[in-house]
Amino acid sequence: MKRINRLWMIALAASLALLALSACGGDDDQQQAAAGGAESRGDTIALIQERDMLKCGVTDTLPGFGFRNPDGSYSGFDVEFCKALAAAVLDDPDKVEYVAASSSARFELLAAGQVDVLVRVTTITAERDGGRGVDFAQTTFYDGQGFVVHDDSPIRAAEDMDGATICVAAGTTTEQNLDDFFNERGLTYTPLPGEGSEPQDQFVARRCDVFTSDKSGLAARIAALPNPEDYRFLPLTISKEPLAPGVRDYDSDWKDVVNWVVYGLINAEELGVDSGNLTAWASDPPNTAVARLLGVPYDGGEIADLGLAVDPQFIQRALRAVGNYGEIYERTVGQLGIEREGTLNALYTEGGILYAPPYR
Amino acid sequence: MSRRIVAVILLALLGLALFAACSGDGGDGAAQREDTLADIVARDELNCGVKQTQALFGLKVGENDPEGFDIEFCKAIAAAVLGDADKVNYVDVSDGSTRFSLLASKQIDVLIRTTTLTSSRDADLHVDFAQTTFYTGQAFAVQADLPYMSSADMSDNPTICVQSGTTTEQNLSDHFLELGYTFEVLGGTDAETLDAFVSGRCDVWTADQSNLASSISNLPNPQDFRILSQLISKEPLAPGVRDYDTDWKDLVNWVVHGVIAAEEAGVTQGNVAAMAEDPPNAQVARLLGVPFRGGEVADHGFGSESTPIDPQFIQRVIAAVGNYAEIYDRTVGDAVPRACSLNALWSEDKRDCPAGGGGILYALPYR
Repeated sequence: MKRINRLWMIALAASLALLALSACGGDDDQQQAAAGGAESRGDTIALIQERDMLKCGVTDTLPGFGFRNPDGSYSGFDVEFCKALAAAVLDDPDKVEYVAASSSARFELLAAGQVDVLVRVTTITAERDGGRGVDFAQTTFYDGQGFVVHDDSPIRAAEDMDGATICVAAGTTTEQNLDDFFNERGLTYTPLPGEGSEPQDQFVARRCDVFTSDKSGLAARIAALPNPEDYRFLPLTISKEPLAPGVRDYDSDWKDVVNWVVYGLINAEELGVDSGNLTAWASDPPNTAVARLLGVPYDGGEIADLGLAVDPQFIQRALRAVGNYGEIYERTVGQLGIEREGTLNALYTEGGILYAPPYR
Repeated sequence: MSRRIVAVILLALLGLALFAACSGDGGDGAAQREDTLADIVARDELNCGVKQTQALFGLKVGENDPEGFDIEFCKAIAAAVLGDADKVNYVDVSDGSTRFSLLASKQIDVLIRTTTLTSSRDADLHVDFAQTTFYTGQAFAVQADLPYMSSADMSDNPTICVQSGTTTEQNLSDHFLELGYTFEVLGGTDAETLDAFVSGRCDVWTADQSNLASSISNLPNPQDFRILSQLISKEPLAPGVRDYDTDWKDLVNWVVHGVIAAEEAGVTQGNVAAMAEDPPNAQVARLLGVPFRGGEVADHGFGSESTPIDPQFIQRVIAAVGNYAEIYDRTVGDAVPRACSLNALWSEDKRDCPAGGGGILYALPYR
């Protein structure tokens, strides 16, 4: 009997030694994971929980999408998704550290682990997804690039822009589209690139003839000016800009959470769950689809656990914090007069293309 | 050998196993990334998990390779990665209950098998899904002489055929629970449920509408059955790979987006060579990985560190299988009309569609 115990002890010690050698789950690995290091997987969700704070990379100069208010608080469509994520993971929409991410530095901030997620009017492109180590969640806003000019400008169509000076945000897909657009038509232009609100300021000060950006962003900026009637949109949409949250590659559990929070807010709108009926429906769901979405039992059945890295009530918390997709839209970009009806951002049942896969 | 020694060896093995789990792939903590792309290139063949019993999507006849909508995407991926659409080993996952274990155990590189993208599969089963290739929904087929117009009429405890181990089965239970109706279930494989329905052993057969349409259109007596227009679920069917295999997932995802982008841009199997030679615009040039007017080739950087994929992969895909519309027409065709369905392009003119109808296929930009 004694001999058996000793052998067991030796084997146990050997096991522990091997475990220790493997440095499994050590701090180094976590740091490396956060920074997208060598060959290990990311585990950003664990970092967020440990820190008890979500680091959300946003723009701070775009009214309606991501804007830093004079009191230091942030507001806008993108900001609402930061809050929804913090509510889902940390049960508190205020546990967000907003990191102002400039258009040219945003991907470095993400790669370096300085933000957990980019929710920053960022277009999904092949090169960003394929080559830059970004993994994108479901598109939150479908946009396209447009042009705005001073109302007294002689520019009315594409050809009129030959030789024009054009204000544009640096390091964006907008810059690239602009180049394509002029190249294809054999037209010339002079770009005047800038960060944040610089392109807008330059344009208002007439240092360029044309201001180009995503149409919704342009509309939001112009609407926020004291004299919006002094500006005019050209009837052109020259690109597809699906704007989506981005996380680091090889961070699947976190990507899944971000993705299903976006899908959840869309699903909620589709199923008619909103801030008004949320509490009532969580205690008495009208059907199984709503019950699954909210992580509550239907008709005395069991709670469906989807197996995400958060508990099954995460969408309930996200909805309590920000409401469904339609409510978010109305509260932010909708306030700037950016219509949703008849656009791609309507639900698929209403002529748009927003479609959330099922919660099951 | 004494039991003591066996116990010691077992414990030592346990220690080694824990060590391997932490430092090798497949575990948690500091687990390694997957690199399926490297495996495929080393093997020089794609292991594609497909259905072999569903006409139009994946059907194997005799000794031939299976044919259908899903099969075309296996070919497309093989063309992208290996430069040859025929370098596919079709792994039979007709049995829906084994598909995820086959994926998890790496017996297949990708699952393209009329599989619905759901949250629990995405999360709990550690599947990472690419862009949906086909949007459908669960529907009912009934014996033509029965008076059912929708499930609301099925209050007389009907016998319903349904494939076992699928979301279809779960949706059916949910739906009848909500209706407050009872039903008798007759489960089985895809082929068994069709056979039971055709021979009248069940009143109703439920499956994805596209599946019902394809199976019934292949019968000698399709007029004996009716497909109800009611849809009781959303079934976005998408290719699935393993989690933490992101570079591979990206490639599969952008192959799907590439065939949709090709349709949007008017690139076809017939004109892809000419378009690659002289692209009409920068967008097509980027899609096909060729220079535009003497400019540079845009390399999107696909592939893993060990296995980069060259920028011409979509050119090979379109040469092998054509664009989305060509794939659809050649396989699904008229059995499931595409116009005004979710599977039409987003840019389709929706004015002629019934309210709420119209396509949602939207290719992400190749830039």
